Amino acid sequence: MNWKKFFIAFIAAFVFIFIFEWIFHGIVLKETYAALPPGLMRPAEEFMKHFFHWLVLGQLVFVFFFTMIFASFAGGGGAGAGARYGILVALLGFGANLIQFAVHPLTTRVLGFWGIGGLIELAIAGAIIGAIYKPSSHTTT
Amino acid sequence: MKRFIVAFLAAYIFIFFWGWLLNGVLLKDVYAQTPNLWRSQSEMMSLFHWIIIGQALVVFAFVMIYASGFAGGGVIAGIRLGILLEIAAIGMRMGFYAVQPFPGNLIVYGSVGGLIEMIIVGAIVGAIIVGAIVGAIYKPGAPSFPPGPS
Repeated sequence: MNWKKFFIAFIAAFVFIFIFEWIFHGIVLKETYAALPPGLMRPAEEFMKHFFHWLVLGQLVFVFFFTMIFASFAGGGGAGAGARYGILVALLGFGANLIQFAVHPLTTRVLGFWGIGGLIELAIAGAIIGAIYKPSSHTTT
Repeated sequence: MKRFIVAFLAAYIFIFFWGWLLNGVLLKDVYAQTPNLWRSQSEMMSLFHWIIIGQALVVFAFVMIYASGFAGGGVIAGIRLGILLEIAAIGMRMGFYAVQPFPGNLIVYGSVGGLIEMIIVGAIVGAIIVGAIVGAIYKPGAPSFPPGPS
């Protein structure tokens, strides 16, 4: 494993995912979330004051292992292979979203946006990782 | 293709029963403590097909990821992929914990349950373990992702 390339890919993907999710969930879906049944989401103030660090930590953990899987098993292939890998992980995540929809009082609108957003997000994140963690970077260990 | 389908079916059967045992039996009382976060029992049953489709999609994607780049490593690669994906999923759970009022113990139990699911993959090679089933059954000749050093 080329750790230098790995960490560059990890940080680049994390920055993208942090910004994408802020725009997507914090701005685009703000009104959609507000229309969900009361009590299903934490109040904005409570989230910002006491739980925001869990969101950032969760994103760090997710992106670290998302990058780790690609680098340790499939490192190489460039942006295209990374995007394909990201789409497969997004499909896996959407499967989990379908289960969430069945058990939580979410709306089909939320489910649809999560599916489309997740696909775009992880395809791009995968492409970023694939573009940085290229086959030529395997020369060092 | 035949091996892919067998791997998918075997993994799906395990995930279905594991999901039922973990969520429907072991964590039932924990879920009951937060009724406002869940649909009613009757409502869930009317949407049960989405759980079936969701689980199928999870297993399909898992098998595809494994078959696309990791299959050369056999059972061990399947176990490793399962554990890494589960830890990534724990990251996602932490995100949901931040925005939804889940009790912390539910996140911990769900994460431990998910990890156990994949650790058993490494311990028992056979019909009830997703990663091991996939690793044991599906061994194509060449991965479509160029394999990197691990």
